[in-house]
Amino acid sequence: MSGFLEGLRCSECIDWGEKRNTIASIAAGVLFFTGWWIIIDAAVIYPTMEEFNHSYHACGVIATIAFLMINAVSNGQVRGDSYSEGCLGQTGARIWLFIGFMLAFGSLIASMWILFGGYVAKEKPIVYPGIAVFFQNAFIFFGGLVFKFGRTEDLWQ
Amino acid sequence: FTALVALSFSGAIGLTFLLLGCALEDYGVYWPLFVLIFHAISPIPYFIAKRVTYDSDATSSACRELAYFFTTGIVVSAFGFPVILARVAVIKWGACGLVLAGNAVIFLTIQGFFLVFGREDDFSWERW
Repeated sequence: MSGFLEGLRCSECIDWGEKRNTIASIAAGVLFFTGWWIIIDAAVIYPTMEEFNHSYHACGVIATIAFLMINAVSNGQVRGDSYSEGCLGQTGARIWLFIGFMLAFGSLIASMWILFGGYVAKEKPIVYPGIAVFFQNAFIFFGGLVFKFGRTEDLWQ
Repeated sequence: FTALVALSFSGAIGLTFLLLGCALEDYGVYWPLFVLIFHAISPIPYFIAKRVTYDSDATSSACRELAYFFTTGIVVSAFGFPVILARVAVIKWGACGLVLAGNAVIFLTIQGFFLVFGREDDFSWERW
């Protein structure tokens, strides 16, 4: 028995420190796409405007744009210590990141507003689309955070 | 060589689950076959990243991480699609369960391919 488990002793052959970036990317991918599939689910089950106003999709779209903006600049460009300046320079990178985070927080707050203002306060019989919008934006937001801050840029190899 | 046979066996099992989910008497709906598209495109981001960063230093990660991100997205989509079909009652939950099981086996097979056949350009000496 002990002989057969020898070959499975793999926890030493994977360097967990080196895999941090991979794990962060995968976790961010799971979060982001789960968010979108939640809203696809809600849209498929409740196709009418009455139950799920189609303009609520804008929240998720802005959250995705914010995700792309946040992750388009690397931490090095904001700190100013990367080799290439990028096309906006350091100040431009900071403004870009600032606007990106504002859009991200804004879409998260908007999704809460949609849930409470559009569904809970109006006491609609079907609340699921509101919950779906909220969870979509929450997942996209946290996916963006994990992708941005879960990866290190210390390329000390 | 035995790894190849084992991988092709598990791939066949996965496809069997998928087809059972579509073709059994009780079910008879063929929409779940669309997850095969997700299976086919799932290795593509990884290969694009490998080609694009071919001649650059060390393990330049940003492109690889983006590839992992999109690959994960494709995998999540392959699992989410049958669930949504079942929620709208286009397929039955039993078929959905079979399709999800087939998905899992096929993705493990694809990952197995990378593990077994991707070691050629790896200079690591941890190979056991």
